[in-house]
Amino acid sequence: MRGIVRRFQARRGVGKFLRNRLAVGALGIIVLYVLGGAWVALGDVLPGRAGVTYAEVEQPVWPAAVPGLGIPATNERRVEAMRIITREVKRAVNNGEGLSDIRYGQLRLLPRAAESEPEVERLSGLVEEAEELYDQLAEFEDLNNPTGPKTEGSAPGEAAIDVPATIAELERAVHQMFAPLSAWQSVKQSMLLSLGTDRQGRSTALRAVFSIKVALQVGIVVSIISVLVGTLLGAAAAYFGGWVDHAVVWLYSTLSSMPELILLAVLVYAFSGSVFDRVANPWLALVPVYAAMCMEFWIGPCRVIRGETMKLKELEYVQAATAIGFGRFYILLRHVIPNTVHLMFINFSLLFIAAIKFEVVLSFLGLGVKVGPSWGRMIQESTQEVINGNFWQIGAATAFMFVLVLAFNIVSDALQDAFDPKHVG
Amino acid sequence: MWSYLARRLLYSIPVYLGIILIMMGALRIRDPVSAYLGKNATAETAALKKASMGLDRPFLPIAVESKDDPFGVEPLAQVGRVGLYAPMKTQYFEFLSRIVRLDFGSAEKPYRSWQFESEDVGAKLADAVWPTLKITIPTLVLTAGIAILVGLLSAAMRGSAIDRTLMVLVVLGMSISVVVFIVLGQVFGSSWLNGKLGFELFASNGYEPGIGNWVRYCALPVIIGVVVGMGYDARFYRAVMVEETGRDYITTAIAKGAPRSKVIFAHMLKNAMIPVITRVMITIPFLITGSIVMEYQFRIPGMGKLLIDAIINKDFPLIQTFTAVLAGLFILTNILTDVLYALVDPRVRLA
Repeated sequence: MRGIVRRFQARRGVGKFLRNRLAVGALGIIVLYVLGGAWVALGDVLPGRAGVTYAEVEQPVWPAAVPGLGIPATNERRVEAMRIITREVKRAVNNGEGLSDIRYGQLRLLPRAAESEPEVERLSGLVEEAEELYDQLAEFEDLNNPTGPKTEGSAPGEAAIDVPATIAELERAVHQMFAPLSAWQSVKQSMLLSLGTDRQGRSTALRAVFSIKVALQVGIVVSIISVLVGTLLGAAAAYFGGWVDHAVVWLYSTLSSMPELILLAVLVYAFSGSVFDRVANPWLALVPVYAAMCMEFWIGPCRVIRGETMKLKELEYVQAATAIGFGRFYILLRHVIPNTVHLMFINFSLLFIAAIKFEVVLSFLGLGVKVGPSWGRMIQESTQEVINGNFWQIGAATAFMFVLVLAFNIVSDALQDAFDPKHVG
Repeated sequence: MWSYLARRLLYSIPVYLGIILIMMGALRIRDPVSAYLGKNATAETAALKKASMGLDRPFLPIAVESKDDPFGVEPLAQVGRVGLYAPMKTQYFEFLSRIVRLDFGSAEKPYRSWQFESEDVGAKLADAVWPTLKITIPTLVLTAGIAILVGLLSAAMRGSAIDRTLMVLVVLGMSISVVVFIVLGQVFGSSWLNGKLGFELFASNGYEPGIGNWVRYCALPVIIGVVVGMGYDARFYRAVMVEETGRDYITTAIAKGAPRSKVIFAHMLKNAMIPVITRVMITIPFLITGSIVMEYQFRIPGMGKLLIDAIINKDFPLIQTFTAVLAGLFILTNILTDVLYALVDPRVRLA
């Protein structure tokens, strides 16, 4: 292993790659993504203390869809959110229980075990105040355009009440229901709301960040396995020749006689429905997707490395190694494969992009990620929202994916320039 | 050339047998019947369904013997512990003969799809081809035409601001998922545009037969398809054209004083046709499969949507037939590409 690393460093290409500022910057962005993904993954190891868990991303952080980046929601949405909270609190007050279960992100109604008599009294007072304000606002047919016509039974014409002030009053009343936030908690809450929420009030920012883990998981697993399998088979096919070569070539020409997406979709069907659909562990739930992608993606590196090995095995140093009397497996593993490391890196980077892109398409079609969010699922869910002009979810998913894929595109172009200058493409 | 064609066809036979074997095997990893019927089905229903597709028979003619004969099929011969079955009674060879006879259901001998119980698999496939072609053929022609022009312009103005802007846009566009283009294109092309125009130009989804309905249902998917495909194609064609501009014959033509437009369109374009034709030929199988995501999102009953619906509904006969037919078409077009090569470029010898 150390030998491989040293040999890799000694290559002229490494210096050439590092001189490419754009590529190094892109590499930095990839590192940031990996750190983000690792932080999210901590949620599986230390739930509640670090990272993000599957339960957290599904919880609403606000009762209705709101835009992000501090852009105020429409009057209608604001009032709707207040109405939902008021209704929920009222139900809990009347039942006399469940008050401590009401929470939106960092906002909690009461600290646990504080359902005391005066607290409930205070809450029901606030609920009454909020309902009164809501009734005033309910007279308007279109809150976004409060000078317009009112609903039936009220006098037409100018608004009798100041709508923005009333809404602000309503929001103040509702916010008083919740326990005050500490400085850290309010920072967290505003971060959760930073990219808006979806139709169910779930934090778009949190879901997009969580999807980094899913994307990296698919990318890393699929590209490592595919590159390793492809390298071993390709190098073995070219080096041993004969029936090994025939078998490998037959296998990949057979598998590549199906269009990519069709093969993937059918293989995902074939591999799912087995044990993996029933396991609760979301790390294993993607096994059908991994298996399908690996069966398809090993072909690329296999072809390239087979061609390179054909060239390498005729070189003097390999013949010298044979003449000295080294075993064929030793020569293959020690002398031939280490000289294809640059191709492995290039292919790793190319397959990473392909895996992320296909994960998005498969999830969009309902064949990929089924538990928890992923960029593909976010885009799929946003198809209902974009019709209503809510672009936050699709925008966040696209932006997160765009930056990662662009960074990988730049890195793989730079890798190709640095290590494989003859390549045309 | 004919001998080359014959050899290619012969060589593709093991590849085709292989893809059928792999796909049929993969489709049997999970029990297709219990996947379709769910857990609550009775044993009799499951057995009936199994028998209807011949899934109770051995898959290959060779199987390791077991005492209670799991397949209910008498082995033809016994070699040690290995039983040999009559090939035509095994699933693999039965399905192969179906492919060879192109028999995917007829009035006398139905081959029913599971999700549409009154329809044959063959009829389903045939119905889906036309809607797909109505989208893919215009998309392919327009994309290729526009992308070649953009590539030519970009190569002719290499290094200029227009060229650089175009290529940066293309790279940026390629980093955005196809899915996003389709979702946003659908919203802006249908509801937003219709709101601006005041009448419905493009439907947001759905399909009706008839050429008169083409603009309403198919034009928007075609436009989105062209925009999406443009990025990949324009970059590729530009690389091809740039390579061609560096050739000696171009320098000679310019030195001779030939007009620039003539050099580009008469000399360069003709010689750049080989990679262009390969590129176009590669996309031909996708004429048949269609863009899966596009058809899924626009609810167009073409081949792509047929496959996804079949997968979601676990329609085993349809999935199996679809993959087999498609793989065959794919292999045939690959052979056709190589032959076309030789026709376009006399330097390529098909010995």
